[in-house]
Amino acid sequence: MIGFLQIIQILIMIGLILTALAVVIFRDLISAAIALGASSLLLSLQFFILRAPDVAIAEAAVGAALTTAIFIFAIRSTEREEGYH
Amino acid sequence: MRKAIAVLALLILFVFLAMGAIEMRPFGEPEETEMDDYFLYDEEEGSQAHNHVNNVVTAVLFDYRGLDTLGEATILFAAVSGVLTVLRELKKEGGKDD
Amino acid sequence: MNWKMSRIVRTVTNFLIVPIIVFGIYLVLHGHLTPGGGFQGGAVIASSTALLIIAYGTLGEHEKDLSSVEALGLTLFILIALLGIGTTMFYNFLAGAGGVFGGTIPEGINPGYINTGGTIPLMNIFVGLEVTAALSLIIWMMSKETFVINSEKKEVKD
Repeated sequence: MIGFLQIIQILIMIGLILTALAVVIFRDLISAAIALGASSLLLSLQFFILRAPDVAIAEAAVGAALTTAIFIFAIRSTEREEGYH
Repeated sequence: MRKAIAVLALLILFVFLAMGAIEMRPFGEPEETEMDDYFLYDEEEGSQAHNHVNNVVTAVLFDYRGLDTLGEATILFAAVSGVLTVLRELKKEGGKDD
Repeated sequence: MNWKMSRIVRTVTNFLIVPIIVFGIYLVLHGHLTPGGGFQGGAVIASSTALLIIAYGTLGEHEKDLSSVEALGLTLFILIALLGIGTTMFYNFLAGAGGVFGGTIPEGINPGYINTGGTIPLMNIFVGLEVTAALSLIIWMMSKETFVINSEKKEVKD
């Protein structure tokens, strides 16, 4: 019997794989940065379900907010498209 | 179509938040208490007897392994020093080259 | 030099900035009772700084103040660690002493009294100060560099 939490965990795992693939596939770097933020938000949800709320708060604050902001500032300073020569 | 998807997402979020609010336990009563006898309530080794703290994670981070936290704070300080040094130099160069 | 996002983003920022900062301060101050602590609370407050910078462009010329706040937090942390050097470093000399943060807690499940914990809440506060200032400073310097480079690009294009 698969419980409710197991179903949510499986859905989060599928979402993690999809967002991680999206980070690699996207040619637009800002879209890739946003996908990385979504991936880290899903990871923090998984941490919370596994009963590690400290790590979940740190992951959500650092991974989803600060890292995305730093990536977007860096992309604005350089080129937006990947493979531009 | 977009409005229907938005309403559906809002409903799912509402159900999750309402479930969390209904299943919320009283403050200080954890859901699983198997390890609390050893980590919290033990009269010689427990965190309540040692540090008068209810949160074992914080007791480990700031008391038992305080040196690790000091190292982490020092790493952050070094990182900020590096960022300040590098970016200040860049800004001055950009101003002069004009 | 500085950009401004649209009116929607600025209004939402005005509404959200106070709850985010209050939540971060709650995480720092209740670090010895609930999940959270200095690093997590500081990161949450720094994310509010990132939101302000993204919405409004710049925050002025206060980076020296932030730098000194960061150094002050680290110094006070080391000072509190050294105050217990009579027995060992990081000795919790305030716990159960009856003074500030020195209350005793009854054994068993209890609702969490904030006046307990000894030096742990003080260290939480100092680490929270340091992490807030450090992460805000990193984001601020990156955004400043972005403005400088973007203005140079515009001048080259013109």
